[in-house]
Amino acid sequence: MSTVSLAGTEQRFTCAPGDTLLRAGLRAGIGLSYECNAGSCGTCKIDLVSGELDDLYPEAPGIKPRDRERGRRLACQSVPRGDCTIKSRVADTYLTPNPPRRATARLESTRDITHDIREFAFRVDGPAAFLAGQYAMLVLSGAAAPRAYSMSNTANADGFWKFMIRRTPTGAVSRALFELPPGSTVELDGPFGLAYLRENSPRDIVCIAGGSGIAPMAAILEAAAEHEHVRHLGAWLFYGGRGPADVPAIADLLATHHLERGLEWHPVVSVPALAEGTDWNGEFGFVHELLPKKLPRPLPEYEFYFAGPPPMVEATIRLLIADHKVPQAQLHFDRFF
Amino acid sequence: MSDTDPSTWRPLCAAIDVDIGTPMRVETEGLPPLAVFHLEDGFYVTDDTCTHGEASLCDGFVDGDEVECPWHSGKFCVKDGTATAFPAIEPIKVYRTQVVDGRVCIEAHSAAA
Repeated sequence: MSTVSLAGTEQRFTCAPGDTLLRAGLRAGIGLSYECNAGSCGTCKIDLVSGELDDLYPEAPGIKPRDRERGRRLACQSVPRGDCTIKSRVADTYLTPNPPRRATARLESTRDITHDIREFAFRVDGPAAFLAGQYAMLVLSGAAAPRAYSMSNTANADGFWKFMIRRTPTGAVSRALFELPPGSTVELDGPFGLAYLRENSPRDIVCIAGGSGIAPMAAILEAAAEHEHVRHLGAWLFYGGRGPADVPAIADLLATHHLERGLEWHPVVSVPALAEGTDWNGEFGFVHELLPKKLPRPLPEYEFYFAGPPPMVEATIRLLIADHKVPQAQLHFDRFF
Repeated sequence: MSDTDPSTWRPLCAAIDVDIGTPMRVETEGLPPLAVFHLEDGFYVTDDTCTHGEASLCDGFVDGDEVECPWHSGKFCVKDGTATAFPAIEPIKVYRTQVVDGRVCIEAHSAAA
C-alpha cells in the first residue's frame, strides 16, 4: 500500500498495489479530475511533487514529452512505487454516488445487436450500482491494458453489468471478448464517467450515437423512461451508421414505452452505396447534421448526451457549441480521444 | 489622443519582465486574468483562462503564434484569438496591445469578453 498526499491540502489516500493514482483516489472519495481513464484526453494530468511513479502507457496521446519534462503525469496511467505527493485539480463534480470498485464478473450471456456489435451480460456479486451512461473498465487475463466500455443497462439489484461492444479487427480486447465462452470471468472496475443522465434537468433529452456509442444512450433512455419526472420530457435518439446494416433494430433494443411522449428515432447512414439494394428509406448524411433539421426548438433548449467515434463526437461538439451556442454544461459525453 | 498617449493605455507589466516564449499572467481590476505574450514580433495580450476547460494558458506552451493549453492541448492563435486545435472551439479574447514607456499596455477602456 502506498500513501498518496495532495500537496497543499490535508487530503491523502491509499493506493493498493497495481492500482492507478486516479482510480485509487476516486475509490477513496477524492474527486481527482478525469474523463477517459484511458490515457487519451489529458484531463487527469497531475504534477508529481515527490515520489516515484510507474507509467503504464508511456506513449499515451493525452500527455506530451514537454509535459513530462515539467513533472506532469497522467493519473490514470500512473502507479505509485511508494508514498508520493502530487498536485491535482480536485472537485466534487468528478465524484458520483457509487465509488468505483474492482470485482470479478462472470459472462452470463450475449446477444447480437448488429452485424458487428454484440451485447455482453456480465454478472457480479452484489447489486450493480451505477448511473445511467457511466462506464467500467474490463480487464481480461492476458490483455495488456484495461478497456473502457459503457454500460447499456441501468442499475439493478441482480448484479448485471451489460456492455455493447463492436468487433474491431485491430482491438485485442474486443477480439478476446468475442471469443470468451459464457461462464468465463474478467475483472470489472467501475463505475466511472460523468456523462450520466441529469435527472434534475428540465430540458428535453437528445441522445446521439454512432457505433457502440449506442450502449450508454440505451441506458440513458431507459433510465429516463423509468424516472417519475424525466419520463414526461421529450426524448430523441439520433443514430449514425455507415450503412443500413449498422443500424440496430431499436424497438427490440430499448424498453422506453414509459416515455410519456414516446421516443423520436432518427437513424442516418453516411455511405449511400451501402444502402443500394436494401429497403433503406431513411436519411443519408452524418448524424450531427440531422440535429438542427429534426429538433423543433432552438438547440440551446435541449440536454445533449452523445457517444461514438471521435470524428462524430468532435463534429457534434463543434455544431452545438460553435454554431448553435449551446452552453457547454448541457453537453454530456466522454472524450475517449 | 494618440497611440502613445498614456491616458489611452492601461499598463499591465514591464515589457522587460516577459520573456519570449514564457507568457506572464496578470490580474487587473475589472477584467478576467490576462496572459501577456512576448512573441518574436512584439507583445500580445489575451484572456488567460482557456475557453474550453478553465486552465491557465500561461501554464501552457507557446509555439510560433500559438499557445497550447496545458490541460487538454487545445490551441489558440495568440494574435487573433482563433481556436486552432480541438478541443478548443470558441476563440480566446485578444486585447489591443501597445508598449508605452517600457510597459505592456492594453486599451484603457478594454472590457471583459
